[in-house]
Order: sequence, then C-alpha cells, then structure tokens
Amino acid sequence: MKRRDFIKKTAMISSSLYLPGLLTMAQAPKGDLVVKVEGDSPYEITKRAIKELGGMEKFISKQDIVMVKPNIGWNREIEQAACTNPDVVRAIVEQALNAGAKKVIVMDNPCHKAEDTYSRSGIKDAAQKAGAEVRFPDENRLVVHDFKGQRITQWPVFKDFLDVDKVINVPILKHHGSAGITIGMKNLYGILGGNRGKLHRDMGQGIADLGYGFKSHLNIVDAYRILVRNGPIGGRISDVELRKTVIASTNIMEADVVAVNVFGAAPEQYDFLRAAFERKMGQMDISKINLKSIKI
Amino acid sequence: MKAKTGKHIQKARIIAQVIFTFLFFYLLLSAGRAGAGAESFTYTDYFFYFDPLLLVLNFIATSKILPLFLLSLVPLVLTFVLGRFFCGWVCPFGAVNQFFSWLFKKSKKEKKGVDKKLLKLKYIMLILVVISALVGSHYGGWLDPFSLLTRSVTTIVNPSVNYLLEESLKKGAEDEGIVAKGLKPFYNFSRKNILTVKQRAYDQTFIIGGIFFFLLFLNLYKRRFFCNYLCPLGALYGLAAKFSLFNLKPDEKCISCKACARNCTYNGSPFEDYMKSECVVCFNCVGDCPTDAIAASLKAPRKENRTSVDIDLGRRKVMGSIVFGLCLGALPKIASPVRSRLHRFLRPPGAVPEKEFLKKCIRCGECMQICPTNFIQPALFETGMEGVWTPVLNAQTGYCEYTCNKCTRVCPTKAIAPLELKEKQKFKMGTAVVDRGRCYTYADGYNCAVCEEHCPIPEKAIRFREVPTWNFEGKQVNVKQIYVIPDLCTGCGICENVCPRTDAPGIQMSAEEEQREELTF
Repeated sequence: MKRRDFIKKTAMISSSLYLPGLLTMAQAPKGDLVVKVEGDSPYEITKRAIKELGGMEKFISKQDIVMVKPNIGWNREIEQAACTNPDVVRAIVEQALNAGAKKVIVMDNPCHKAEDTYSRSGIKDAAQKAGAEVRFPDENRLVVHDFKGQRITQWPVFKDFLDVDKVINVPILKHHGSAGITIGMKNLYGILGGNRGKLHRDMGQGIADLGYGFKSHLNIVDAYRILVRNGPIGGRISDVELRKTVIASTNIMEADVVAVNVFGAAPEQYDFLRAAFERKMGQMDISKINLKSIKI
Repeated sequence: MKAKTGKHIQKARIIAQVIFTFLFFYLLLSAGRAGAGAESFTYTDYFFYFDPLLLVLNFIATSKILPLFLLSLVPLVLTFVLGRFFCGWVCPFGAVNQFFSWLFKKSKKEKKGVDKKLLKLKYIMLILVVISALVGSHYGGWLDPFSLLTRSVTTIVNPSVNYLLEESLKKGAEDEGIVAKGLKPFYNFSRKNILTVKQRAYDQTFIIGGIFFFLLFLNLYKRRFFCNYLCPLGALYGLAAKFSLFNLKPDEKCISCKACARNCTYNGSPFEDYMKSECVVCFNCVGDCPTDAIAASLKAPRKENRTSVDIDLGRRKVMGSIVFGLCLGALPKIASPVRSRLHRFLRPPGAVPEKEFLKKCIRCGECMQICPTNFIQPALFETGMEGVWTPVLNAQTGYCEYTCNKCTRVCPTKAIAPLELKEKQKFKMGTAVVDRGRCYTYADGYNCAVCEEHCPIPEKAIRFREVPTWNFEGKQVNVKQIYVIPDLCTGCGICENVCPRTDAPGIQMSAEEEQREELTF
C-alpha cells in the first residue's frame, strides 16, 4: 500500500467512525423529556411515567435524603380533588426508597390545619405505609431563602426543603381562582412560610420566580382527578373531572405546559407561564416540547 | 374502726381521686387534640352531667331538664347515704386542690380549728348563684368547679404546657448529641400524645389564669380553700350531706388527743366541731387515730345522740344574700352592652339566641378546647357584663373549619345546639363584609383574591369580577375585585383569617343576618 492510500483510507475509516456522531450533532438539540401517561390506576401510571423518564435511579443517588412535596393544602377528600392523589405519592415514595434513598420525607405547608389536611387527604396514611416520614411544618424551622426573582426575592422557606439532597415536586392539576390554574410551579408555594397571601399580588411573576429560584429535581403532576371549576379548594363533586393522567419531567415549566394542555386550555393565557417563558425556563409551544405520550 | 382500715380507705380514696382526675384531663385534652373531623367523638362533656348544681341552674334558665343531667341525681342521692363523698373522692378540682394543699403542707402556718364564719361563705355563694339565676343572670359557671377547671385548663394550663414541652423538648431533641438521644423519645411521645401542632392562644389567659392560680395559692392559707369556702356545688352537697346516714363518732377508746384534727379536710374533727355538711369522707381522721377510737357507720344516730354541728347562716345572712343576689341578677341587665342595638360579636355555630344563650352557657370553655383552629375565644365584656368568658368567635386567631361540627356536640347545656355536619355547613353565624377602603382589590387596585381562594362554600360565597379601575400608581388596569354573596356566606371567618393585610383585614365578619337571632325576631 502506498503512503497516500494509507492516509486516504485511514482518514475515511476514522471519519466514518465519527459519522453517526456528526449526524446527531446536526439534528436540533432536544429539550428535557416530558412523559405523559394515561391509564386507569394512578399508582401504575405514576410508576410507568418514572420508568419512561429513565427510572428513579437516574434522579436519586444511593443514600440521598429525598423530599416529596405533594399538594396537601386543603382539608378535603380524595374525590374532591383538592390535594394530590395519595396513590401517586405512594408510588413515588416506594420508587425513591427502591432506588436507594436513605430517607423520604413528605411535607407541605397547607392552608388549612396540617393535622387535618394530612390525614383527610389520605396522604399521611399512604406515605407512612410506603415508608416515608410525614413531617408537619414547624414555623421555628423557617429560614430566609433568596429566589433571585422579580416579584419574590427573599422569603422565609422551611429549612426542611433546603436541607435535603433531592426534591420531588408532586402537584395536583386544578383550577385556581386568582392564578387561573395551579400546577407544578404554583405548588412550590407550599415550601414558603410567612404571610403568603401577600404574594397574590402579581402572582404570575411570583409563581415563575418560585420555579426559577428553587430547584426541584423531578416534577410529577397528578392529573388523575382534576378540579375544573371553583379551585383551588373546590368541594363539589360536580366540579371534578377524570383525566386519568400523570405528567413527569425534570423541567418544571414544560410539565406545566403539558398539564395545561391536559386541562384543555392554552398556555399563553396564564401569566405565570408567560413570565416563565420570558425567563427561558422552557418551551411554551407544546409542539416544541420533547413529549412522549403513553396509554396503558 | 381500726386505724389500719382507715388508712386503707384513705388510700382507696386517693386512688379514686387520681383516676377521676386523670379521666377528666384525658377526656378534655384528647378532645383538644382530635382532628377537625366530624368522625371523632368525645365524651368530654360527660363530667358535667354529674353536676347537680348545673341541673338546678339549667332548670331555672330553661324550665326544662336535659335528660342527661338526670345523671347528676346519682351522686346527689348517694350523698344522702354517704355524705359529701363526691367532693372527697370524685371531684377533679377537689383533687387538684387537695394535691396543692398537700404540697403546701410543710410551709403552711395554718390556724387550727374550724373557721365557721368562712365556711358560711360557700352557702352564701350558692344562694347568690341560684337567686341571680332566678332573675335571669347566670353566674354559676364562674364558680362551678367543673366549669372553672375546664376553662382554666383550656385557656392556660394546656397552652402553656404545650409551649413548654415544645420549646424545651424540641430544642433538645434537634441537637445532635447524648442529650438529644435521650430527649427524642420523650419528644416523639409528647408530639404523638400531648402536643398540638399549632400552639393555641386565648384572649383571657391572664385573667382566667390569674384567678386559677390565685385559687390554688389560697390553699397555702387554708387547706382545700375553694372546696371548703367557695364552691357552690360543695354547698349544695353540704345541704344534702347534713341528712346523710354516714356518721363519724369517737367511741369510749378516745383519749382526747385530737390527732384526728390534724389532717381533717375542713379543719374540724369527729371529736370536736364534727360537721356532716363539711365532712368529705376522706377518712384521714380514722387513719390518724392512735387508739382506733373513731367509729364510722352508715347509721345516723338518734337526735339526742347527735354530735354533728350544723352551719346556720342565720336569717339575717340568708335575707341579705337573697337581696344581694337579686341585685347581682339585675345588674347585667341594666348594663349598656345588652341594650345596644348593634352587636359586634359572633357566637359559635348552633348557638341559641343570645338571651337564651346567656342563661344556658356555663362558661366552661369546652367549645374553646375542642375547636381545632382556635377560633372560639372567651369573651370579656364585649358581649355585656354577663357574657364574661362566654364563647365568641375571633377570626384573627382561627376560623370555622368547614368539615367540623365538634363544638356543637360537646356543649353540656346545649347553649350550642347539636348540629349534624350538613346542618352546620349551612348554619349562618354571620356574614363577611368587604371593607372597600382596605381590600387590596379596591383600595390599591391589584389582584389578591386570597379570601376567594379559601372560601370553603362549594358554590363560592366570595367571588370576583374583572373591573377596570385605577391602581395605586394612577394607571387604569383590570382588577379582579372581590364581592360577597350574603345568602351563601355562613360567616366561617376564614376570609378574614387569611386576608394578607397586616393591620386590619379588608374583609371582616359581622353579625349581619345571623341565623340564631332570626329565630326570635
């Protein structure tokens, strides 16, 4: 073989080895994966959604302390769809413990009395049975956290949420009087203490600030039973509709956008999504989202 | 009777006291810890049904007898046989006083002998309470031992114990170290069994607590001061015990050593100044007798052999007390708040119309203890002079939980009538009124709607409409302005409770369209 041939062939072989790599680079970069799973059992669809995202092991390292933050805001029953479905919480706690988490804590700062909301929502029982520690909010544990936002800069936050290794945000999708809709970013109001009512002014900005300034490692939106009117507290069964869906993603805003789609509304109509979009937290257009829909 | 037997009975008495006191505290405290749910039931009101004074007062107030209060005839009838056993063996406040008397024993410089003058005081109290009730004013709850103890435990003992446990145990349990490891189980236990998640606070803590501790410290001056000299229920039992079969008498073995006077609850003795009406059957004297000389029997001696001394108020004191009682009864009725056309307070759900309420309520604070959100507070003078310590609603400290009707189920005298949960959810305590000068959506022109969000009525008694208005910068904006639908609003007060304004709320509870008054007018 001549020297020239040798160089030619080597170049061709080595470049052909690079080819697949080059091809993928040529494709547009895809955003975070959002998984939407529909099915009859809230427990099964949650498990499936986590599996499709790559399994809980992808998010949780061995010996991690994990905080699961459902919406336990109101003294209402499961059928009234004001709090996260306990089966969804149970599935997440189980998965986290199976993935090797040292401890899983379930906590929220509710609007009603914590003792009541925790037990009436069914979350206390479900979480404890799955092996989680159910913790009540304690005002002595408030510390100031800087969200570096526009509306919310410094605000008291329960230390419990900052001291853990991973946070899994588990909101319920429902109608909300002043914000229009409440999903993942709004759910983070539950880590706050202080006079939270004050934050209802320019609420859209405030919600985006929370999603921006507080890192939740995984977001799993419960849209199994949703309140379509008179949220966030509801109470009437006629205001509740079945969607039998769970949405999971690491991107809090895109999970919210997909949830808005499940709710049957346009993302642009909500202040908080517009504010989050401006902050480049994710895509507003659902067709641009890396979405994987599954039915079981 | 042998002194040894006396000692045994004495021990049995102490055990009984401990059991009844424990039961009382257990029922009361567990009631306060139970969740808001209508599911959980409590028997905390049952102690009151064994109180004949309340039977009498309630009968005077309503000319009816609540069937459960017939239970109080059991101890009353037994008193005709056993004497004032109730005071000595059962009454939890008696036991508390006895405990403190025992505690103060060593430091006490108590005068020996019966204070006959002071003993008369409780009979005067009984007359005052009954006569003023006949005129229509209720003072019984101020002095009734169950009401007094329940009220004091609710407003001062329980919250302060809760605070101290939480502060001391919690801090210790959170550090890393040996102390923490030791404290953690205690903390977890008290968290599980004693503490409430949210610290409670009550309006009249200082006054009610002050009176309570003053009464306890009076035991320094004389043992079981309240029981001997103030308790109207004790006086009622005393009247019955006068005719009781139970009798103590020293027999021929007596050496007149007066050992029996040493520990007598009312400072008398079977040897000297034996008073059946004051004896609480504690058996201290029998246990103390060195010669086994005191005979206890259930056979009242013949008239000529009687040793018991009666307390005789005398015609003058009785007449004086009656006149004083009449004045006391009339006094609140001519005090101004009752005559005011406006009233600025609200009563718990199910409360009967005001006039009837004041007569029925025994100011025990049972409803305050059981209210899961700390909504019900003791009044001072806002409901009139008569209304001291009656329950009023304070939306700054709590709100009426939509899924709860517990206060309507614990009221011993049904001043708060029992309501099914569904009835309670419709019961109109009052109406919320938007203060447009304060509400952010009107005054400052920006969105808020925290009250709308919290309104528990499924149809929403608080709504908003988008209205073009001027905001605090003078710009024209669309704002979701709040309004109340009075027909749907029940006056639960959560809107006022959560209003984010820091000085005075932009939406307030008012007694407007209060359901209970509608019934009478």
